[in-house]
Amino acid sequence: MSAVRGTSVGGDGTAGSDAATAIPTVVVPPAAVESQHGLGASLLPADAAAKTQGVFPYAADLWAEGLLWAAVLRSPHPHARIVSIDTTHAAEMPGVRAVITHTDVPGDAMHGRRVADRPVFAHDVVRHHGEPIAAVAADHPDTARLAAAAIIVEYEVLEPVTDPEKAFEAPPLHPDGNLIRHIPLRFGDPSAAGEVVVEGVYRVGRQDPAPIGAEAGLAVPRPDGGVELYVASTDPHADRDMAAACFGLETDRVKVVVTGVPGAMADREDPGFQLPLGLLALKTGHPVKLVATREESFLGHAHRHPALLRYRHHADAEGRLVKVEAQLLLDAGAYADASSDALAAAVAFAAGPYVVPHVFVEGWAVRTNNPPSGHVRGEGAMQVCAAYEGQMDKLAAKLGLDPAELRMRNVMATGDLLPTGQTVTCPAPVAELLGAVRDAELPPLPSAEDEAEWLLPGGPEGAGEPGAVRRGVGYALGMVHMLGAEGHDEVSTATVRVQGGTATVICSAVETGQGFATLARQIVQEVLGVEEVAVLPADTDQPPAGPSARGRHTWVSGGAVERAAKMVRTQLLQPLAAKFGMSVELLTIADGKITSYDGVLSTTVAETLQGKELWATAQCRPHPTEKLDETGQGDAFVGLAFAAIRAVVDVDIELGTVRVVDMAVAQDVGRVLNPRQVAARIEAGVTQGVGMALMEDLRTGRGAVKRPSLTGYALPTALDAPPVRIVKLVEERDVVAPFGAKAVSAVPVVVSPAAVAAAVRAATGRPVGRLPIRPQTAVARQG
Amino acid sequence: MLPASLDEAVAALAAMPTAVPVAGGTDLMAAVNSGLLRPAGLVGLGRISEIRGWQYADGHALLGAGLTHARMGRPDFAALIPALAAAARAAGPPQIRNAGTLGGNIASAAPTGDALPVLAALEASVVLTGPNGSREVPVSHLLTGMDPLRPGELLAFVRAPLLHAPQVFLKATARTGPGRAMASVALVLDPARRGVRCAVGAVAPMPLRPLEAEQWVASLIDWDGARTLDPRVCTAFGDYVAMACIPDPVGDPADPAGQDAGALPPAVAHLRRTVAALARRALGRALS
Repeated sequence: MSAVRGTSVGGDGTAGSDAATAIPTVVVPPAAVESQHGLGASLLPADAAAKTQGVFPYAADLWAEGLLWAAVLRSPHPHARIVSIDTTHAAEMPGVRAVITHTDVPGDAMHGRRVADRPVFAHDVVRHHGEPIAAVAADHPDTARLAAAAIIVEYEVLEPVTDPEKAFEAPPLHPDGNLIRHIPLRFGDPSAAGEVVVEGVYRVGRQDPAPIGAEAGLAVPRPDGGVELYVASTDPHADRDMAAACFGLETDRVKVVVTGVPGAMADREDPGFQLPLGLLALKTGHPVKLVATREESFLGHAHRHPALLRYRHHADAEGRLVKVEAQLLLDAGAYADASSDALAAAVAFAAGPYVVPHVFVEGWAVRTNNPPSGHVRGEGAMQVCAAYEGQMDKLAAKLGLDPAELRMRNVMATGDLLPTGQTVTCPAPVAELLGAVRDAELPPLPSAEDEAEWLLPGGPEGAGEPGAVRRGVGYALGMVHMLGAEGHDEVSTATVRVQGGTATVICSAVETGQGFATLARQIVQEVLGVEEVAVLPADTDQPPAGPSARGRHTWVSGGAVERAAKMVRTQLLQPLAAKFGMSVELLTIADGKITSYDGVLSTTVAETLQGKELWATAQCRPHPTEKLDETGQGDAFVGLAFAAIRAVVDVDIELGTVRVVDMAVAQDVGRVLNPRQVAARIEAGVTQGVGMALMEDLRTGRGAVKRPSLTGYALPTALDAPPVRIVKLVEERDVVAPFGAKAVSAVPVVVSPAAVAAAVRAATGRPVGRLPIRPQTAVARQG
Repeated sequence: MLPASLDEAVAALAAMPTAVPVAGGTDLMAAVNSGLLRPAGLVGLGRISEIRGWQYADGHALLGAGLTHARMGRPDFAALIPALAAAARAAGPPQIRNAGTLGGNIASAAPTGDALPVLAALEASVVLTGPNGSREVPVSHLLTGMDPLRPGELLAFVRAPLLHAPQVFLKATARTGPGRAMASVALVLDPARRGVRCAVGAVAPMPLRPLEAEQWVASLIDWDGARTLDPRVCTAFGDYVAMACIPDPVGDPADPAGQDAGALPPAVAHLRRTVAALARRALGRALS
């Protein structure tokens, strides 16, 4: 990979793409990488040692002198009218310093990601189980919890709307109505019909992001009347703006400091406690801390949208898709949050990475009294992938075709149209991905000798019996968009500073574990040849970088860091170049040394700097997108990423237990910037997808969350997480993306549930239309 | 309080009747931490060495209530009471097994407690020690509430028969990693009494014993010979057990809608199939 390093230095933003043709598409196993820094190296995160040793500070570890503890009173009912709130008893308890309700919100009473439809504290109506009603600050966490419990709220319990299909007819749950968004997509000729028609209904459950660390934060009042929020935010500027509006303060009076983020698969933070924290700090004049319990965490943060998807696929006798009709219904929960974005993705990708001449989709996101839904990795795209891949299996069965062959006949490529009318301009190597997983070696079947070693479904001490186990192989293809869609301004700003032999990156892109900080170091190493690079922690005193979501930071923040680093490079080399009468492009920097193309000039970076400090700030703003119009048409997406996954499962067809034996992944990554990190992100995504496929579903009963704990909500354990084999990373560079790299985290989450479902279908011969797959659907057909 | 002997622990409980005894704390402390339980005091049983091991007494093993799942899972224990060892190994992740105890499993009496169906199948009894001395109560009487733990009493020992014959514990879970039982079956052979004893866990608040099915299958076994059965008998046994534990809903004759109540909801029908498969496999493994 050292050749790559050389070519991308000194060019413009697209220099990387010129080299693309020269670089064969190969998987670089981490061990084979020679280079220790720069792009393409498997650089370790700077905080890796601290995290593994348990000394890395997370939000729950924060401390401030004289701090108070907060507790939030949450609604036990999914739908109720609040008749009265009596805080007198709680406020009189010894040790209680403040009790706040909706009357103590000095600024905007409502907030929200896209639409301000969510109250800081519920006052007239509660719309979901766990909605915040009041908050307490006290000198001990137990006192705060007891005081919160002592607040007397009189409810008039209302009938909850829990079936999204009934939301259309139900009385409005919110002044904004129950329909959050409706997208009718019309593409092609509605009268077109195919010779073969298959129909299916698919349901997707409620996945919880279940971050390893529950929400926590510290709010510190400032002498100027402002407040600082120390939280594990993934979008500090948006959180600051929201907080400032609700606190009735100017944005410069509120500072959000990002602390260590303990896992973020979604919008990391729950404003339901961030806002009370700040309000309590402002009211008491003391720092206030809160560490959410696991139960609060399950109740408070946003979940993946449960979905009900009805499909009809038309194909010709050869299996070529003619028309796809779909009705998509997303359960948004009580508030809009990111539902509009999830619906746009679901509708646009409703037919999958296939060429379909006629597509008709009706998509709705509706309000219910179920737990709130919002942004969770691959939102919208994951739900429809499970459905359209189910349809492809059904179609293959009906036509008597091999499922992989049927998919191969329909795959999309660069230049094809999405059903939104947008042309796929980025690389779309779908056929190559599918071919790679199809041709990958299958894991061996257990032979008679090693049968005892065979890990059966149900685990090592389980009830599995080899005679009842059937093996199934299933394929799935899927796609996801990168960056925000539909006209969001996806800008990011970064600053690079060089002094002595070290460089510093200042960017408010949050390192959530996705690897941005490592990537930023690699970019600066690459451009400036400085080995030592520090990435400063993020806060809102720096210019905004936007949310850590949808692979944005690799693209926009990585792009901004690269531009800033190049500006510093020019500043550094310009005097030298002028002195030697050659252009800057003829000088290269590597390992802290500057050399000219002919080797005549050789000096060190430190010498050239002569104690000077060089600063540069740059922005990266991808090309604009547009909102989907009233027929679902428009260039809504900046970029797309694809993956193909082949799942191999063992199913105990009597008990309905499933074990994923092997997941073979081929992914469209544009360019591998850090092989180790790419592999880790794919493994994490596949594991999350396997959880969605087999066990993760936050159950509710009449709108109330049942068993909000890690015992009640099963996550994949080490025994459930399958071996993930990355059989191919297709490195076809996306010319508009910085470095040509695509985001890698979301696609495996989108595709793997569909692949597992396909494999279970193959093993049992039964239709699998519901995720997570319940044991009763994974048994052999009765009779 | 951390008493070092059973007597001290009983005295401590008598001195503070509102205190709650705690052994491994895997259930209790979770309840305390989540605010569901605010005990006035705790009597820690972890230092009472006399209940952390086991001893032999006239064909029985007297198991200390403080035996951890990890200890019971080891091979030496498995040679004594194989089904209890299998249940202990399946009881959860290593952290839970290292702390959780046999006595705690009985005392918290969760329907999904893995040791419970095994103790029911063994027809084990528990020794309860209180201020007025000790008494012995069958595990099933304790679990069904026929003879509950009295105030001031501690669960000290479990008396389980040593049967010197195959025993099986099988558990169906929703994931490959450790998880709560959807259903579990414990099956033990008792050659001396020419009996098969089976208990089904997790499908009801306490383990269920399908007595008729046990007697029927025991009558078919050639106890002095090869002790094998036709696979069809195993299948029939499984169905028998499942029907006994999850009967068809009884339709109300007065209610016309009750006439077609014969169909179980899909999830319950699956549970019955699961119990049938587990019982069949358990019998097959015990006899193989």
